[in-house]
Amino acid sequence: MQDSAWGWLIITYLFLAGAGSGAFIAAVACDLLAPDWSKALARAGSLVSGPLVVIGTLCLVLDLEAGFWQPWRQIYMVNNLRSMISWGFIILSIFIPIALVYAAALNEITFVGKLAQKYITIIEIIGSIFAVATATYTGVLIAVVNGVPFWNTPLMPVLFLASAVSTGLAAAMIVAAIIDVNTIKTLSNFALGHVIFLSVEALVLMLFVFMSLTRSTEAAASAGMLITGILSPYFWGLVVILGLVVPFILSIFEFLEYGKMPKSLVVGADILVLVGGMSIRALIIFSGTHPQIIS
Amino acid sequence: MPRYGIAIDTTKCIGCHSCRVACQNQNSLESNETFNWIKHLDRGRYPSYNKQFIPLQCNHCENAPCQRVCPTGATYTSNEGVVLVNSKTCVGCKYCMEACPYKMRIIDHRRGIVEKCRLCIELVREGGVPACVTTCPTQVRVFGDLDDPNSAISRFIASTGAQPLRPDLGTLPKIFYKRS
Repeated sequence: MQDSAWGWLIITYLFLAGAGSGAFIAAVACDLLAPDWSKALARAGSLVSGPLVVIGTLCLVLDLEAGFWQPWRQIYMVNNLRSMISWGFIILSIFIPIALVYAAALNEITFVGKLAQKYITIIEIIGSIFAVATATYTGVLIAVVNGVPFWNTPLMPVLFLASAVSTGLAAAMIVAAIIDVNTIKTLSNFALGHVIFLSVEALVLMLFVFMSLTRSTEAAASAGMLITGILSPYFWGLVVILGLVVPFILSIFEFLEYGKMPKSLVVGADILVLVGGMSIRALIIFSGTHPQIIS
Repeated sequence: MPRYGIAIDTTKCIGCHSCRVACQNQNSLESNETFNWIKHLDRGRYPSYNKQFIPLQCNHCENAPCQRVCPTGATYTSNEGVVLVNSKTCVGCKYCMEACPYKMRIIDHRRGIVEKCRLCIELVREGGVPACVTTCPTQVRVFGDLDDPNSAISRFIASTGAQPLRPDLGTLPKIFYKRS
């Protein structure tokens, strides 16, 4: 009888893969759809995307045991296409190089970047597909787990994708504020994005928690841990208030005041979105209860 | 080929943990590692209070969730219907441990691989029976071929109506329980 086999390394991976792929999506959206003033955010998003996913993947590899000490064993990891980890291995192997090349292209780093610039649209289209795949698969990874009924819902990948987009935009905005101090005004344009994405995330989270209450006794027990039980201070404090409500309100003011808001509050809202994204993944993993096998 | 399973008569179990010790010796496990557990269940109140002991181990599911999620294919089902882990290809990702609804798998940190009850397959292939079965002083466990209608286990299941744990999960376990 074992407790959860997964811990902080897997949680960190789920968070970083989500934020990294979300940052890629944010960068492509800015580069393709938005006018010139958004190029700083596109560059920032592309710069942060690959490294976040790489660090996340390192966490994943660190969590392996025999596969870490004897890395050659990892070649077996594509053996079973019924396993989401095999799919993840394939998706990450394709997405990470694309994300790194995209960063090189948008920021004109070395000859690779100059070469890749010629094919930038193709990189953006294929990269976006794999970014969405990365964000979504991390949700499917735990949604297919029979051992934890709370995770066993098609809403899980939707929640992970919604969280990936909002944390990705937040990560891109933080980096944009660091690499280009003058972007503080233009960042206000993206506050509206935060308002929209945080609303979607809040809606999906609400659906997920409420529907879990009636899905099965185990799922209800897990949801109960979050809303009234032992994990409820973290759920209401870190995820709902700090991760959703406060950045939502700050983003509305940021958009209305248009560039007049102090930089600390702009970046602060983004950091809170990241805190919320990490916390929701940690709470989902830690609240997973397995079926009661004896009564 | 046979299809091995174990039937467990929980009404006979006295919670002595001999099966656990025999398993640890048979599989060279550390004192804090085991492939079988005894769950204590409190029933009723004084003066009709009683305690039930439920021995637990890998259910060797026909439709094994652990096998489906294993990325390397290290978890497989042998010809005899025994769910085993290939120690050479397991990477220790622990996905199977999350997927198992019965939580009957453990990670061996020394070798970095996931381990579980293997129904003492090396003894069984030589004509023996699993260590937990032979060692039990009250003969709680009945081992045998589920496909042979005349085997002791098939007759036990037929006569007692023994059921697997949580058959509603659809995993088709090969460990059956007679409960009071």
